[in-house]
Amino acid sequence: MDTVSLILLALGSVTVLSSLGVLLSRDNFYSALYMALTMIFIATTFAVFNIQSAFILIAFIFIGAVGIVTVALAAVFRYVPKSIPVDRLWIIPTILTIAVLTYTLYKYATFNLSQASVDISAFQSQYALAVVFLVCLMVLLMISIVKIVRREELCLK
Amino acid sequence: MFEVAIVLITAVVVLLIAYLTAISSRDLIRLLISLEMMFGAVFLALIPVFSIPEMTNTAFGVLVITIFTSSSELLVLIASIVLLNRMTRDVSTDIVSSGGDQL
Repeated sequence: MDTVSLILLALGSVTVLSSLGVLLSRDNFYSALYMALTMIFIATTFAVFNIQSAFILIAFIFIGAVGIVTVALAAVFRYVPKSIPVDRLWIIPTILTIAVLTYTLYKYATFNLSQASVDISAFQSQYALAVVFLVCLMVLLMISIVKIVRREELCLK
Repeated sequence: MFEVAIVLITAVVVLLIAYLTAISSRDLIRLLISLEMMFGAVFLALIPVFSIPEMTNTAFGVLVITIFTSSSELLVLIASIVLLNRMTRDVSTDIVSSGGDQL
């Protein structure tokens, strides 16, 4: 096993362990912290393959903004349930999902990963319209959310 | 040789743990955390696509769309949390009586 595989194995192990921390921790605040840790390890996996642009996007936007807002929310609404029940019938869809994913893994496990770099200038020309549409969609979503919250405020008064 | 297997196995395990967290969640905050974990698994699953030279920009496009989607999900869930808290002084999902499904 080469160095990259060993690094990936170590990173994968700590990613799984920190995500287990999310599941097993009863306090939402600690769950959110474990989630941020998982995201950092996922971003580091991108860095191992030298996909720097994706690493920066995940580290700064996904962890820096979305993750930190979640941690702040979890700290504000700190809620510790007495027990975490799981319906046993959920085992059936879980097994089905595992089966589908295992087959996909078996099919593509020997695929060779190589280091790739994103051509940002080409991306900008190819996907400029899509990004503009996404930004417009976000603005529309924000306006809708503000309208819904204000309407509910009026209803509560 | 086993690099893709390690990345995909990690993605699958993170996704399943996120599913378990979602179905065992009793409040909206934990639901939000589990959804973000699912997006994390999607990011991991994108890594093999980045190694195909013709698909690199497409993979980056999918990554950007995924980040926009997760931000939208965060926005909607924050609004839900704020509204639910204002109405019931609680963020527990047990008090939501409409919608949902029972197995």
